[in-house]
Amino acid sequence: MNAESTASNPPLRAAARPVPLFSPGRVATIASGTVTQLVRMKTFYFLLAFALVVVAVGNFNLPATPAKELSMIKKVSFGTMDLFAWLFAIVATALLIPRDQEDRTLYTILSKPVRRIEYLLGKLCGVLVVVGVSLVIMYGICATMIGARESLFVSAEIEAMAANGGYSQEQIDEQVGLIRQQGLRPELGLAVLASFLKAAVVAAVTIFLSTFASSSLFTIIVSILIFLIGHAHTMASSFWLHSSDNSLFVQMLVKVVKILIPDFQLYSFSEGIVQGEAVAYALVGQMGLVTAGYLVVFLLLSLLVFVDKEF
Amino acid sequence: MLVLLALFGLVRGPVEDRLREELVASKLLTPPPAQGAFEQMGQSALMGTLGGLRSLVATFLTLEAFDHFSSKSWDDLRQSYQIITALEPRDETHWVSVVWHLGINATANMETDERLPAFERKRRFKEYAFQAIEFAERGIEQLPESSAIRIQLAEVYREKLKDDCATARVYGDIIGLPDAPGYARRFHGYFMARCPGKEKEAYAYLMALYREGEQQHLPTLIKEIKNLEEKLDIPGPRRIPDADPDRPKKAPKRPPNLLPGDILIPFTREDLRRIHG
Repeated sequence: MNAESTASNPPLRAAARPVPLFSPGRVATIASGTVTQLVRMKTFYFLLAFALVVVAVGNFNLPATPAKELSMIKKVSFGTMDLFAWLFAIVATALLIPRDQEDRTLYTILSKPVRRIEYLLGKLCGVLVVVGVSLVIMYGICATMIGARESLFVSAEIEAMAANGGYSQEQIDEQVGLIRQQGLRPELGLAVLASFLKAAVVAAVTIFLSTFASSSLFTIIVSILIFLIGHAHTMASSFWLHSSDNSLFVQMLVKVVKILIPDFQLYSFSEGIVQGEAVAYALVGQMGLVTAGYLVVFLLLSLLVFVDKEF
Repeated sequence: MLVLLALFGLVRGPVEDRLREELVASKLLTPPPAQGAFEQMGQSALMGTLGGLRSLVATFLTLEAFDHFSSKSWDDLRQSYQIITALEPRDETHWVSVVWHLGINATANMETDERLPAFERKRRFKEYAFQAIEFAERGIEQLPESSAIRIQLAEVYREKLKDDCATARVYGDIIGLPDAPGYARRFHGYFMARCPGKEKEAYAYLMALYREGEQQHLPTLIKEIKNLEEKLDIPGPRRIPDADPDRPKKAPKRPPNLLPGDILIPFTREDLRRIHG
């Protein structure tokens, strides 16, 4: 009798399902939530400012050759793109964890079977998706402007040279080639990738800082400082060493800074691509691996702090 | 935590150093600006540079330099280009622009600026021309294969300093460079021909060009060869057969059956005399 009733009635408490150690699905859910959160913050509005910058630069009327004018448009557009990418990565990442704490979303998420590494990775992926989408849109705006100016310059140059009559087809082709060299080329996509890789490392550093920071403002300021030091230490170290006559203290300080702070200057290889230098794909691949290393290490560091945190 | 960070730093250090060297060698990464450039930069430019905004700072300074050009503030323009070229030493257009601004525009301004006394204009004219030459030499040091910088430098020697020997030397340097214009070979010869003491060498060089064929038989080349033939007293049979392009062509012989008033008669005077005789 007893045995029968036990068999027909379900147990009062269902056996706990085993929770996988790591679930990409959960990471994707947190990432998509982060994207929604950032979109609701109206973060994409900065694209309007970018479009204005590009249009303004595209309409500068300088006494320069078409090639130089195109080069200037590219430099300003890609420079601004890079600036927006890393600044956005810092601000967005710095706001996320404190905002989740304020909204109490963090407690709801962590009370579910969600591992802390999944939460951190989800947040980072969400920021990177928004940075990536922004960069693609900015590249689209910039490519439209460069393409339009390039075709305008090319047709004007052909028309002017043909009207002059003193130029051979070969000379016209040579002149057009010079303009096209500074125009829209597929390699420019790698310059965008370089900005993305830099923004990814910046976001990883910021997420690490935000795990122990007391406020978003602190995280933003310290992240920007780290970014500036990371960019400058290679340039500044030779200057300091020279001005201090290679003092031992300065040498030690430079070494410590170099070990602790990422070298962001390496990512400036995008400038070479923008200026029309030939791309060394193997080097770009190696930069991707270095970036992956930074992401793994800074996520682990974030986890080390975040795992002990009581909410 | 610090141990992990330090370990990672120690591992990535050599990798990043090697990557930096390779990126600099492949010209994708610009080497750090010279120390002098740091001292000359304003605070904002310095911060921008240190913050990885070299291109943006350089572009902003280019616009500032254009402003100096508009207001003819040549010393400020030079100062701006000192920093621009230090920030982006591999951008050929910066070097070409500064040589053009100082070597052509600033010197032209000194030729015409009535507000300055004549001796001061002359002094500044030379000063700007030599500053342009100095920039060009630094640019060539950075970009040894650049013909655009050399073309601009040759223009300064040719148009402003009227130094035919230096002009010939610079055009000579352009020959053989990857993007050398076709006229560089001829110009090298033309200016060598005008350089005192180089006449024989110039004659041999221009004759070699002349012998390349009809496509080289341009009026200036023929004129320069003719001048050298006179100067070097080349014997008649060895002189080129072409006419001097500057001498007016001889009027065609008037046909004998053409009467004054351009009336053409079907017989010559000889025929008429024969008929009447």
